[in-house]
Amino acid sequence: MLLALVASTAAPMAAAATGPQPPPLPTEHLTVAQVGPKSPHWVYVLDYAFNNEIDSRVYLFDGDTYRRMGQIDAGFLPGVNISPDGKTTAVATTYFARGGHGARTDVVEFNDNTTLAKTGEIVIPPKHAQTLAMLFTVAFSADGRFLYVPYLTPAASFGVLDPARKTVLSEIDTAGCTLVIPWGPNRVSSICESGRLLTVTLDAAGHEAARTTSDPWFDPDKDPVFAQGVPLTDGYAYISFLGQVHEVDFTNPKPAMRAPWSLVTAQEKGTWRPGGVQIGAVHRSLGKLFIPMHRGGEGSHKVGGSEIWVFDLKSHQRTARWPVNTQQTGAVVSVQVSQDAAPLLFAATEKADLLVLDASSGRLKHDEKKLGQTPQLLLNP
Amino acid sequence: MQSLDRVFEKSARSLAKRTSRRSLLASLGQLLTGAALLPLLPIDRTARAQSPGPHAQSPAAGAKPTAEEQNCDYWKYCAIDGFLCACCGGTSTSCPPGTQTSPITWIGTCHNPGDGRDYIVSYNDCCGKVSCGDCFCNRNEGEKPMYRLSRNNDVNWCMANTESNYHCSVSVILGVAEK
Repeated sequence: MLLALVASTAAPMAAAATGPQPPPLPTEHLTVAQVGPKSPHWVYVLDYAFNNEIDSRVYLFDGDTYRRMGQIDAGFLPGVNISPDGKTTAVATTYFARGGHGARTDVVEFNDNTTLAKTGEIVIPPKHAQTLAMLFTVAFSADGRFLYVPYLTPAASFGVLDPARKTVLSEIDTAGCTLVIPWGPNRVSSICESGRLLTVTLDAAGHEAARTTSDPWFDPDKDPVFAQGVPLTDGYAYISFLGQVHEVDFTNPKPAMRAPWSLVTAQEKGTWRPGGVQIGAVHRSLGKLFIPMHRGGEGSHKVGGSEIWVFDLKSHQRTARWPVNTQQTGAVVSVQVSQDAAPLLFAATEKADLLVLDASSGRLKHDEKKLGQTPQLLLNP
Repeated sequence: MQSLDRVFEKSARSLAKRTSRRSLLASLGQLLTGAALLPLLPIDRTARAQSPGPHAQSPAAGAKPTAEEQNCDYWKYCAIDGFLCACCGGTSTSCPPGTQTSPITWIGTCHNPGDGRDYIVSYNDCCGKVSCGDCFCNRNEGEKPMYRLSRNNDVNWCMANTESNYHCSVSVILGVAEK
């Protein structure tokens, strides 16, 4: 402070000695910046801040200007998702009464994506599933009428919320199956330990009307799928540790499992593997699938990709392999692709960088160094 | 929470001695009918463990962790995900002062190169303070996604504690794994 004072008094004296002073700077006005019109090249980046997990946050980042545009607070091990109309970011999270300790309050907070200001909340039972970044730890129904939050105590269930009236409508037991995979206006699926899919259909009041359980569609012992499903136009793709793609069609009353196909050749199987956190992204109108891949063995399923592989979803053919400069950026743990006609591929790395690539050519356009501590979930606006 | 821990540990070790995993699950299935909200994982997770024999001595007050316990490559850490409590004031089997042990855990099966045996290891979290932030260690041998909860190291295993903030993780041998 003293040094600053000396500097501020010394500067005018020096100017006076060398000639007439320039005109004073204009007065400034304090404002709050506006977010501006939405761009398909924005990306919401969840940083769960592993070194101080009570301080998770979501950054809004512009993939054209490479600018951090603002932040949404996200509490402790949150679920984060965006409403179908893109107007709202929902954060299902925990706060402790005295910072790092004290009474636990679980809440879903709603944030206006045009201002990044919190606009409302629903206090929920103190048992939202506290886990790392996933698309299925809070999710909207396709029409935005219901919001689903998985609970874990560790008994598993999920809450059905009304985001318009800001109320909890029901809690539905899932018999040990976990996560909320939304489809249509009133159905929720959860993955079961046995490799089955539990599907609950809701009535107009958000209560359970019916439930079905599928046959096992993957082997959780020999080749489990990542729980982080990749949204398709008509369902989700589940990628297995060894690179099998299980596409699940959710357009009918019961989910239908298509014949699985492989990301790897017989020679590559077991050597080249998908890995990371958000282990796939699909450009839905172009039918392209992007997967971070690495060389590894059993237990390497969280290792980031040293390459990004691109597949055509119709032909199942690999169309490109893009190497990642892991020395410079770190391996890729999460990917997301913008859904416009000139798409950008976003890739979060083990070193907390956010890479912006041309999703058509794989050309690295920008390496944003250290976007937070552990940025690992990427959401389209 | 310590007494709760002992109850879970005792019942788990006892069950492990006298029943197979399949029969245990069948029994649990019957038990579960109409009681889905009971937390069961503390029992299920040790079903493959044999009796470990006499307990290792608890560390004396102020016991220092070994360099091995502060190293992510230590064989007991084969499926750990978090900050090593041995770097945070505890050891590989003790939580740092002022924290609480989690009564529910995930488990791993780790190979001890020293004696050639595979061991069932319980990865308890230590709870009630903010993240330790030191000696982050993530290894995933046999780790499974969240739908196989007892093998998952991503969820907060402090979830059932009165103070459910996550601080660090320990690794406790439960017994030799059955072949």
